[in-house]
Amino acid sequence: MTTATRSRGNKILVLATESCAYPGADSVGQAHSSYPANVYILRVKAPVLFPDRFYIDCFDKGIAGIVVMSCGEECPYDGAYHALAKRLDRVYQEMKARDIDIRRLRLTAICTVCNRAFLNEVNQMNAVVGELNN
Amino acid sequence: MTQDNPKPETLAAKIGVYICHCGGNISDHVDVETVRRRVEKMPGVAVARTNMFMCSDPGQEMIAEDLKSGTVDRVVVASCAPSLHEKTFRSAIQRAGANPFIYEHANIREQVSCVHHGQAATDKATVLVAAAAAKAGQLKPLTPIRVPALRHATVIGAGAAGLSAARDLADSGIPVTLIEKSSFLGGQLARLDRIAPTGDLAADLVRQLVESVLNHRDITVLTDAEVVGFEGYIGNFKLTVRRGQPAVEPATEPRYIPFSGMQPAGTGADKPGDLTVETGAIVLATGFRSYRPRQGEYGFGDFSPVITLPDLIRKMAERHVPGNMLTIDGRQVRAVAMIHCVGSRQIPGIHPEDENGHLNEYCSRVCCTATLNAADRIRQAYPGTRVYELYRDIRTYGRDQEELYEQAGRNGVVFLRFEAENAPEVLPADPGDGFALKVKVTDTLTFGETLEVPADLVVLATGMEPNDVSDLVEMMKLPVGTDRFLLEVHPKLRPVEMPVAGIFVAGTCQAPFDVGEACNAAGAAAVKAAALLGAGQVELDPFVAEVDVDRCRGTGACIEACLNPGALSLVEMQIDGQTVQRARVTPALCLGCGACVAVCPENAIDVCGMTLRQYEAMVDAIVEN
Repeated sequence: MTTATRSRGNKILVLATESCAYPGADSVGQAHSSYPANVYILRVKAPVLFPDRFYIDCFDKGIAGIVVMSCGEECPYDGAYHALAKRLDRVYQEMKARDIDIRRLRLTAICTVCNRAFLNEVNQMNAVVGELNN
Repeated sequence: MTQDNPKPETLAAKIGVYICHCGGNISDHVDVETVRRRVEKMPGVAVARTNMFMCSDPGQEMIAEDLKSGTVDRVVVASCAPSLHEKTFRSAIQRAGANPFIYEHANIREQVSCVHHGQAATDKATVLVAAAAAKAGQLKPLTPIRVPALRHATVIGAGAAGLSAARDLADSGIPVTLIEKSSFLGGQLARLDRIAPTGDLAADLVRQLVESVLNHRDITVLTDAEVVGFEGYIGNFKLTVRRGQPAVEPATEPRYIPFSGMQPAGTGADKPGDLTVETGAIVLATGFRSYRPRQGEYGFGDFSPVITLPDLIRKMAERHVPGNMLTIDGRQVRAVAMIHCVGSRQIPGIHPEDENGHLNEYCSRVCCTATLNAADRIRQAYPGTRVYELYRDIRTYGRDQEELYEQAGRNGVVFLRFEAENAPEVLPADPGDGFALKVKVTDTLTFGETLEVPADLVVLATGMEPNDVSDLVEMMKLPVGTDRFLLEVHPKLRPVEMPVAGIFVAGTCQAPFDVGEACNAAGAAAVKAAALLGAGQVELDPFVAEVDVDRCRGTGACIEACLNPGALSLVEMQIDGQTVQRARVTPALCLGCGACVAVCPENAIDVCGMTLRQYEAMVDAIVEN
C-alpha cells in the first residue's frame, strides 16, 4: 500500500533525548563541527513517547529522514529503550508496507560527548536522503 | 491525527519571539534581522524583537514589559542552548507575573550559528524559531507539582560517602536514618591505612566521621540492616528495613576483617525484625568492592605470595615488623612486583569475561596512586626491599598525586611497561635462585626486551567494582550503566541525582572515586537532598502525564506501558451516573517519559508541556518553512 504523500524534500528530523543526545548535539556545536543544515533537532524527554503513526505521519508530511537519538542502554528511564526498539520494529514493517525506504529511519544511541558519532549519523542519513531523492 | 491533550486554550495565543545576537556569536552567522522580519509574519506571532544579549537585564526587561502590557502571552527566545538560559527566561517570565511554562526555547547558537553559516544558517534559524512558535502557540500555563515532604532523609551505606552525607544532612537540620548492611561503619575506607597523597591515617578519618555521626542527635544508625521494601515517591518514601541479618559475603570474598579504623557500632542482631522508615529523600552510598582476581590470574590462588593490593595494605598495617626488609606473613620480601590494571581496563578478546559475562572495561582510576603510595612506603620504610611496578599506563590524576609517581622514581622503584595483549606471567622461580616467584614481562620501555623479575611477593593492583545492589535497583527502578555502576541523570548537569525524583547517589556506587571525590559527591547529594526537603514540601516540574477523562475508556494500556509502577492506576469514578474505570496519574511518581502516550488507543493521555500535538505542530512548521 502506498500512501499519497507530500513531495519529500531533504529535511531530516532528529529526535534527541534531553539528557544525552541533545546536549551531545550542543557539544558538536561547541566544537564548531559543521553538519548539513537540513538537520532539525527536536528535544524530547524520551522518544518512547511517540507512537508508530508519528513516524509515518512525519514521512507523509514530507520529512525525508528521521534519526532517533536515544540514550541507548543507558537510558535514565528503565525499560524505555527496549520499548522504543520494539516500536520501531513495527514502524519498519509499516514503512515497508507503505513503500517507504526503511533507511529513512534510524535508531541510534548518542551520549553527551558523542560528537563523532553524532556527525556520522547525520551525515549518513543525509547521504541516504540524497541517494533516495535522486 | 491526534487531538490535543490537555485541550488548548480557547483564545489564540499572542506569541512574542525574542531573538538574541549573542554579541555576534549568533548574528555573525545568522542574519538576525531577516529572521525577525520573517517570523513576525507567522501565525500567532504578536511581536518579534532582537537584542544584543537577550539574557542581559535589558533583554529580560523587554520580555517582561511585553508580558505586563498584555502584548504577548507566550514567549519564544531564540538564543543559545536551553541548558544555559532556559531557567533564566522562565524566571524572567515569572518575575513579570506570568506563568513560567508558557515559554519555548529555540536553540540557534549551538545548533545553528556554531555549525552553519550564511543563508543556510539564517534559513535554519527561521525554521527552528517557527517550530518553537508553533509549539508555544499550544502551550498552556502549568502549575508545578507540590507535594508535602517529610523532613527526613535516609542514607543507605555507611562508608565514607554515606557517613559524610548523613553528617552533612543532619548538620543542615534534616534528621537522618543511616542504614548499613554490615556490623561496621567506615566501609572500604576502614580497610585502608594511609591515604594517598596526603598520608592521612584512614583510621583517623573514619574515627572522625563515625564520631560525628554517632554523636549527632539527628542521626539514627541501623547496622546489620538491609532495605527489603520500597514504596512511595519523593518526599514520602516508605522503606522496610530488615535488621539482624549480618551481611554474608560470598565465599570468594575476603572475610570482612575489622582492623584499626573499623568502628563497631552496635549490632542489629539483638533486635531482629522489620521496621518501617518513612523518609523524604534517599541517598544511595552503597559503595564498591575490590575486584577479586580469578583463580590463576597472574598466579592468584596458585601461589600464596600472590596477593591483592588491599591484602598488602592490611597486612602491612596489622603487622608492622621493623627491619631493613618488608616482612609479610612471616617471610622477608627481598623484591616485590606490583602489577597494575588487574580487573580494570579489560579488553574484549584479550581478557575473559567473568562467570556472569561481565568485563570491566573502565579504568578504576585510583589504583595507580594507591599502588605508587604503597611502593613509596615500602621503599622508605624497608630500603632492603626492591620494588618493581609493572604497568600499562599510569594515571595519577589528582592534586599532588603526580608527585607520588615522581617520588617513586626517586625512591628507586623500577618501572616496566607492558601491553595488554602481552601481559606479564607469574611463574615459579628457577630452582636455586632463592626467590619464591619470577615475573616474566615484555617491557616496552626497553623496546620489547623480555625480562624476568625475581619476586618474593607479587601484588595485584585490583580495580573497583560496584557492590551488588540488584535488589535496590529492582525495587527502586534505578538505571545502571553498562559498567554496572549506578547511573546518574547526567554526569555534568545533574551528577548526583537519579531519575527517580528524591533519590540521590553518592560515592563509589556511581563510579570509581577516591575518598576525597566520594566525600565531595556525598556533600553534593546531601545539599541537594537538604534543599529539597528544607521547605517541608517539594516542587516538581509539571512535565508529567495528564489524563483526559472525557477520552479515557479505561483500557489500562497506559498502565501496562508505564515504566514506573504506581505512577498510573485505574480508579473507579462516576460518569453520567455510571461507575467506570479511568486512568489516574500520581504526579509525584510520574517520570514524564511518555511511554503511556504512545500506547493509548484513545489519545487520552499526554505529557504536559510536551504533548504529542505540540511535537506534530513543530514537525509541520519544519516542513512548511
